[in-house]
Amino acid sequence: MAELIERLRSICGPEHVSDALADRMCYRRDCGPTPGGVPGYIVRPESTDEIVALVKLANEVGKPLFLWGRATTFVDAGVKEGCIVLALDLMNRILKIDVENQVVITEPGAIWHAVDSELGKLGLEMTVPGGGGMFSCTVGGTVAFNAVPHGISEYGVTGNHVVALEVVLPDGAVIRTGSWANADAPFPIERGANGPDLAGLFIGACGTLGIITQVALRIRRIPECERFLFYAFDTIDQCVDAVAGIQHQNGATFLIGLFGGPPPTGVGGKAFLQIIIRDHEARAAERMQICRAVCESFAGRPQNSEGTRRYWTEHMYSWLRNTPPDAYYGSRPYYCPEVAGFVPTQALKQAIPLVQQYIANNAEFARVGMRVKGMDVYFSPNAAFLWVDTLYPEMDREAWRVGLRVRAEISELLFGRWMSPGGIVAGIAPYIMPRLGPTYELMKRLKAALDPRNILNPGVLGLGLPADSQLLEQSR
Amino acid sequence: MSKPNEPDLRLRSVAQSTYECLRCAFCFDLSWLGPVNLCPSYAWGAFESYGARGRMTIARAILEGELAYDESLIPRVFACTECRACADHCFKYIDTNKVYTALRQDLAARGLIPPQLAAAVDGLAESHNLYGEPHANRQAWLKHRERLDKPARVAFFVGCTPAYVRRTMAGDAYAALEASGLDFTVLGDEWCCGHPFLAAGQRERAAEVMRHNVDTLTRLGVERVVFDCPGCMRAFREDAPEVLGEPLPFAAVHITEELARQVQEGRLRFDVFQSGVVVTYHDPCTLGRGLGVYDAPRAIIEAMPGMRLAEMPRHKRDAYCCGAGSFVRYDYPGLVEKTGVERFREIEATGAQVALTTCPACLTQFQHIHGKLQSRVQVMDLVALVNRIGRWR
Repeated sequence: MAELIERLRSICGPEHVSDALADRMCYRRDCGPTPGGVPGYIVRPESTDEIVALVKLANEVGKPLFLWGRATTFVDAGVKEGCIVLALDLMNRILKIDVENQVVITEPGAIWHAVDSELGKLGLEMTVPGGGGMFSCTVGGTVAFNAVPHGISEYGVTGNHVVALEVVLPDGAVIRTGSWANADAPFPIERGANGPDLAGLFIGACGTLGIITQVALRIRRIPECERFLFYAFDTIDQCVDAVAGIQHQNGATFLIGLFGGPPPTGVGGKAFLQIIIRDHEARAAERMQICRAVCESFAGRPQNSEGTRRYWTEHMYSWLRNTPPDAYYGSRPYYCPEVAGFVPTQALKQAIPLVQQYIANNAEFARVGMRVKGMDVYFSPNAAFLWVDTLYPEMDREAWRVGLRVRAEISELLFGRWMSPGGIVAGIAPYIMPRLGPTYELMKRLKAALDPRNILNPGVLGLGLPADSQLLEQSR
Repeated sequence: MSKPNEPDLRLRSVAQSTYECLRCAFCFDLSWLGPVNLCPSYAWGAFESYGARGRMTIARAILEGELAYDESLIPRVFACTECRACADHCFKYIDTNKVYTALRQDLAARGLIPPQLAAAVDGLAESHNLYGEPHANRQAWLKHRERLDKPARVAFFVGCTPAYVRRTMAGDAYAALEASGLDFTVLGDEWCCGHPFLAAGQRERAAEVMRHNVDTLTRLGVERVVFDCPGCMRAFREDAPEVLGEPLPFAAVHITEELARQVQEGRLRFDVFQSGVVVTYHDPCTLGRGLGVYDAPRAIIEAMPGMRLAEMPRHKRDAYCCGAGSFVRYDYPGLVEKTGVERFREIEATGAQVALTTCPACLTQFQHIHGKLQSRVQVMDLVALVNRIGRWR
């Protein structure tokens, strides 16, 4: 493949292409439990034009591309052996902060938190905070996965805040969505313009249908104040009912329920609710009152909310459990085969005990040293996003195998009843896609129509595989 | 090429650290400050293999037999300034330097050392300094010899760079200690601290020079050693106990800690340097993240009348490396230059007229970059400034 690397170098410059094994080893897994294949090449394009050229080359030689933001998902990225990894870290610029039209335009490799930091210097923020769970994540990756963000209780998922996208299609064509599609329009202002919501086609598609090369997101003034509450409950049901009451009154910006794993330090109870409110002073006071009244009507006991505040401001999950990060994260060679997805709020009353029972009945779980990190819930405006986070000791191959089996069995347990995952990717796709029936068939038809040579992230989202059987085999 | 599962892999002793890496990418940048770099090596090398997450992946791949030590790993391991920014920002609190040290030692054991660094440390073994100068000239900067090898409870450890290259630094530190009325000694037979050997992965050679220096200081009855060079101080305080397998028999302090204590006790005051002057302070990585000394230099600066300290966005724990750490200048001048220019631009952006630091490597680097950029910002050693305007009681 000497010729291929020369052509890659001629597109991106020799300094931005590597076929060294030491480099290739570094681009094959996300934060999930399973390494993907070792890619054949790593390329770091700097512009949309370079991406177009790479896409055309990939079509010509039949070599798949795998898109790489920061790989901070926990679901197994699914890098294909021998593929060309398209690392987007050089496309990390903030192209325009359009204060007048309340939009920021960035390249896909821009770090979400860095963009927010720059906006913060102007008293502004993106209308959805923090991207996904990791503040090291990229804007492009977070949109491509439609990440569940902080503040989802009021703001909804990341994709809701996309105004427009620039996308390189699998055939090398470059499109813009919404009002930005109009070549005579100077800048993006509205997603719901110029026909169907094409941005929606690429949000959550995990890079299978196109390569996002620019993202326009809504921005706003930073809310006047932030307020915090923390409640402990004696039963899961009480906590869930309190949440439902708050959801019905739009009482909080962000509701986080803790239903498993280590309890918050120094607090008694079976379920816990962290509450974050962002608003102007008067409305924040009103919403605080709503949350207090609802929680206390379901026997919630108010707790010191300093941990909540620190969680929100420092972005460290350990504070949800009143624990400093060093004590919580230090010296732990554990990996997390997470299972996560949306469930109806009230279904938590059954889902949590079901998973707890599964773990209690699973003798292997304890035998190989697995533990429950948490069953934490980010509540959306009307539902719940449940993370079942188990941990296995990463240095033990048997524990790894048990960890993957636990992921499969919890997936079967939850996807077979109430749960629909968000970012799907390779690790989870086998357990959910076959359940989607004609919807999955439509996705496959879209993939085949847009990407007939199957060069963009093949296998991710269960798309671009020869047959269902192969997808299902992966899960066994 | 070595086989990956050879029994002598030092990596095995730190295997758990490599498995602790979550791959969260917090070691890539300081996103809470904006789109700014955290790791000079990753910023220069550009592929992930040059950053902490990549090095952890490489280490793990070696442990699992998927990757073998070869020449391709030399720049990915040695083109690291050991600034410890990755360790200090690690989500899992991994002491990444332990892994890097094991990687360096494994590579060195297989003869895989960057060529210029290898030559430099070979010379060091002969001359006891990194510059190939005659050992007899080490303390030639001293005007008066009466403190040489004089038994005392306090010693001033000079270090190779101040002794041979930045002699004004040695002279300023010496003068400041003398003016403070401290009874101290200077070693006539001072050897290199051993830091360069460790950077080259040569632990046994480091042990030999560390043993010499520790024994010589002990024979003089020294209880406290004052360092001008943070790298030397780290070699004594952090590395020597681990390499020699015994606790250090004396305390190790940086000269800014000594001077800050004198300021606090009211024994050191300052004249006005320039009324209304704005200064910024660059935290040397080894002094700050490596040894936890952030406040002492600032306490000194803040005690200087008529001076305003303008901090850079990246300061203290977030400070960006000057680019000169861990002897990368021998083999990776591009890394040194790129990092130095980036840091100097940040210095200039503060609007300061003077950039202060307190490390021979940082000072040398900034003086070079200052010349290259024809900058209006003056670069000064903090101890030199103390010496110039300090008044001791």
